Amino acid sequence: MSAGRPPDELEAEPDEPGDVLQLPMAPRATDVALGELEIVYAFIYARVGNRADAEDLTQQVAMKAIPRLREGSPASAIRGYLFATARSVLGGFWSTRLGLSEVELHEDLALAVPQSPPSEERADTVQRILAELSDNYRRVLELRFLHGYSLKEVAAEMHSTVGAVKVMQLRALRAAAKVKVYP
Amino acid sequence: MNKPENRVDKIVSDLLHGRRLRLRGGDADEKAAIAAAARLAAARQGPQRMNPAFRKRLEQALELAPREPWLTRRAALVAGLGVAAGVVSGGLVGRTLHGAPTAQVQGGGPIDPIGGRWVDVAAMSDLVEGQGMRVTAGSVGAFVFRRGDTVTAVTSICSHLPCELWWNGGQGLLDCPCHPASFTAEGKSTDMAYPLPDLNTVHVRVTPAGRVEVLGTA
Repeated sequence: MSAGRPPDELEAEPDEPGDVLQLPMAPRATDVALGELEIVYAFIYARVGNRADAEDLTQQVAMKAIPRLREGSPASAIRGYLFATARSVLGGFWSTRLGLSEVELHEDLALAVPQSPPSEERADTVQRILAELSDNYRRVLELRFLHGYSLKEVAAEMHSTVGAVKVMQLRALRAAAKVKVYP
Repeated sequence: MNKPENRVDKIVSDLLHGRRLRLRGGDADEKAAIAAAARLAAARQGPQRMNPAFRKRLEQALELAPREPWLTRRAALVAGLGVAAGVVSGGLVGRTLHGAPTAQVQGGGPIDPIGGRWVDVAAMSDLVEGQGMRVTAGSVGAFVFRRGDTVTAVTSICSHLPCELWWNGGQGLLDCPCHPASFTAEGKSTDMAYPLPDLNTVHVRVTPAGRVEVLGTA
């Protein structure tokens, strides 16, 4: 009955209805998950400041979240769950690395979900932190973190000594930690 | 080097060179400064996207993950799906095949190998208080723990994926190398949000001569 039809058309016709329903779904679910995990990765990176730790933690989030990702929940629900998981994983990361119980972690490590997307987070974060600091503290952090100066270069720029810059850097970081990054 | 400004500068320097956060005892006193340094180091790099190689690894991990994540190895065996898992888990196969199916899906039950026999695995004095020791009794792998005069044992196979656990002495937990899962010495899952089934217990006894024996296979 189908002898007159071209071969490619024959191949396109599914043998079972399941083929049509399932094949397009699997890659899409993974792609949606990866898209959300990109945002999670940026969120985590912004808090640990290095790629290796950010990758490890993102992978932990992904593994914990697999059951939810497979349920086909709406993206907004998945994102909320992923960020909740990311906060939990980050809390575990800091408490393990610092040898503290999570209860001992204070507000300075609060892991609030950012209100703005990660792309806007950087400018907000730096601006808010630096704007609240004294001139010297702001300068040492700008030179060290934003311009990548070595201690020696910072000392030369600020007409100071390496030892004094180290102390000033620590005090500036303590002050920066007190700045409320998210309202 | 023990001065806080030196310790924090070492961490800052690592961050600025893209290295991991390597923290030591005493760094907790400066946790707020360290967290601020991590935020600033991240801000310096700008918003980050996943490295393509990492993204690919993550994609593969997502696709390779079990379709039914909480279908345990034991449940798979009951359903006749887990030949490979059974081979890996050795002595567990015996119990699975002769026990009641309803009980087999639950974790935490004891392993009763078919034709099991007591196998000498260590001297009582070899066991360190509260520390896990990996032992094998024929095809049964186990971690044995000593608390005072009492000895307990749990299987060395994760209750989720059929992977050999390892004893994380620092944390006092049994960690699974195949996914982020840990168990206490009693075999309880540490993940409160998604607790895995308990590890199966393994029969263990101490002889009058102070030898530790595990019920395993010939």
